[in-house]
Amino acid sequence: MKKVYVMIGNYGSGKTELALNFAIEAAKHGRTELLDLDMVNTYFRLTEHGRMTRMKEIRLVSPNFACSGIETLSLPAEVASAFAMDWDTVIFDAGGDAVGATALGRYHQDFMELEPGSLEVFNVINIRRPLAGTVERILHLQEEMQIYSRLKITGMINNTNLAQMTGPDELRDGYEMIKQVSQISGIPVKYTSGRREMLDIFLSEGHDPEYIGTPIAIDTYMHRDWDSWIKGLSD
Amino acid sequence: MALTLMKGSEAIAEAAIRAGARFFFGYPITPQTEIPEYMSARMPEVGGCFLQAESEVAAINMVYGAAGTGERVITSSSSPGISLKQEGISYCAGAQLPCVILNVMRGGPGLGNIQASQGDYFQGVKGGGNGDYHLLTYAPSSVQEAIDIMMFAFEKAEKYRMPVLFLADGIIAQMMEPVEMPEMVDFKVDPEKKPWACTGWKPGDDPAKRATINSLYINTEDLAVHNDRLQAVYAEASANEQLWENYKTEDAEFVIAAFGTVARIAKSAIDELREMGVKAGLFRPISVWPFPYTHLAETVCREGVKAVLDVEVNEGQMIEDVKLAINGAKPVEFLGHCGSQFPTTEEIKNKILAMKEGK
Repeated sequence: MKKVYVMIGNYGSGKTELALNFAIEAAKHGRTELLDLDMVNTYFRLTEHGRMTRMKEIRLVSPNFACSGIETLSLPAEVASAFAMDWDTVIFDAGGDAVGATALGRYHQDFMELEPGSLEVFNVINIRRPLAGTVERILHLQEEMQIYSRLKITGMINNTNLAQMTGPDELRDGYEMIKQVSQISGIPVKYTSGRREMLDIFLSEGHDPEYIGTPIAIDTYMHRDWDSWIKGLSD
Repeated sequence: MALTLMKGSEAIAEAAIRAGARFFFGYPITPQTEIPEYMSARMPEVGGCFLQAESEVAAINMVYGAAGTGERVITSSSSPGISLKQEGISYCAGAQLPCVILNVMRGGPGLGNIQASQGDYFQGVKGGGNGDYHLLTYAPSSVQEAIDIMMFAFEKAEKYRMPVLFLADGIIAQMMEPVEMPEMVDFKVDPEKKPWACTGWKPGDDPAKRATINSLYINTEDLAVHNDRLQAVYAEASANEQLWENYKTEDAEFVIAAFGTVARIAKSAIDELREMGVKAGLFRPISVWPFPYTHLAETVCREGVKAVLDVEVNEGQMIEDVKLAINGAKPVEFLGHCGSQFPTTEEIKNKILAMKEGK
């Protein structure tokens, strides 16, 4: 059965990073399509990683480009291939917040016609981001994103991080807050993600597995530290 | 205090609110649209006013009006939008209105592009509008530094009764960094401390105490007196408000002069050069008006310094102030690009190595 993953979440929560990690993993096992539906932010986007995704044999669908650094911010017709073609895994990376999730609403009919059980909609959460820093704010955002995307969120991902300054506190604090969100909303925690070394420390602390979900170690492609970003400019 | 992961635009906007800004007037333009976007969500939460004006020209004139009441007022834009605001900025300077103007620089001239640039140095520090005026102008090189500067920007603006300009490049606004956000400042307009502000007047009040916000001095002598007053303020601000950073310059043979995020690239290059045994250092002006001329001269004009390399993302603008400071005492070379291409660590390193070999 085709698996369709939709990543939504607060702005700067790490959706794109996770979408890329999911896609790289999925591409090892089957035909994978990754769709960049970020209509909000023109920096930090998958589209910048075209060469890398081609090397990993991931089909990348990007917004229509006007020229370098500028796109026309319109959804390409190619998005239809996610539904029409025979992929093993399809991953949608939406823009941040409710405004970013809006682009998904356009495909409501297509999502509804998917085989039951094939669609997963994940709310990627980073509680170190100012507008997702409290239980109330996460619940409010979750509600809004469901309305705008016309999709039901099926699981949450604890992706709490402070970029290169992430420590074990981040996942732990994220766990505590997202646990409360899960208890109130009834939405399960499906994954906890972070760099391997942080994840190992967090997992050794004996938290309730119900609110951890599946732990996934991720590599960072999007948000590099200053020096490696600057070096990347020379490549 | 806990760190949060913030995008530069959001951090600058939040810091402005924490510093007491309750009025934002602006118009969207990449790469700073996240500032008005954030303001539109946050201002109502703190009882402030967010207003998307019909144009940049309207926005800066709203700043003029609101700042005239003594409130803390801010506007933001990017290069072409800042060009549109120049008339209003000159009016604010002429009327001695404290306010904060954010320029998130992008490629120019004209519409240029939407990538980060440093092409508005001249416009910012040499006066973009008409007349003899200056703006207190700061060039942050990290998101945290932008926050820290914002926390004193309004106080400085009020102390000297002059607008403050942030000369930030697009990278500052677009990158996310972990930051520490200061506590909210409790700000209220005190009419006693701001007798110049229009805080209310009714018939029967002392006419001599009636505040007027004005930049028109039609009488020749009046305008001369007004300009003398402005120049005295600029002299005082120039003496007191210079900010700069020295990085590994004590024993440096090659000193790099750079501002904003380019200075961070230069630091990486300096660290690599030092590992190779090349004594390099950095002089970074944080206030670009007033420019720290004397401090740069003290850093560079001594025995042991062989040459200076000025690095910018433009065709060479700050280099004129660098040369003024050094006044011919040392050779000054330039490395820069327009079109929003940032110099790499490798490029800076190779340039210094070439200078060392006398090429």
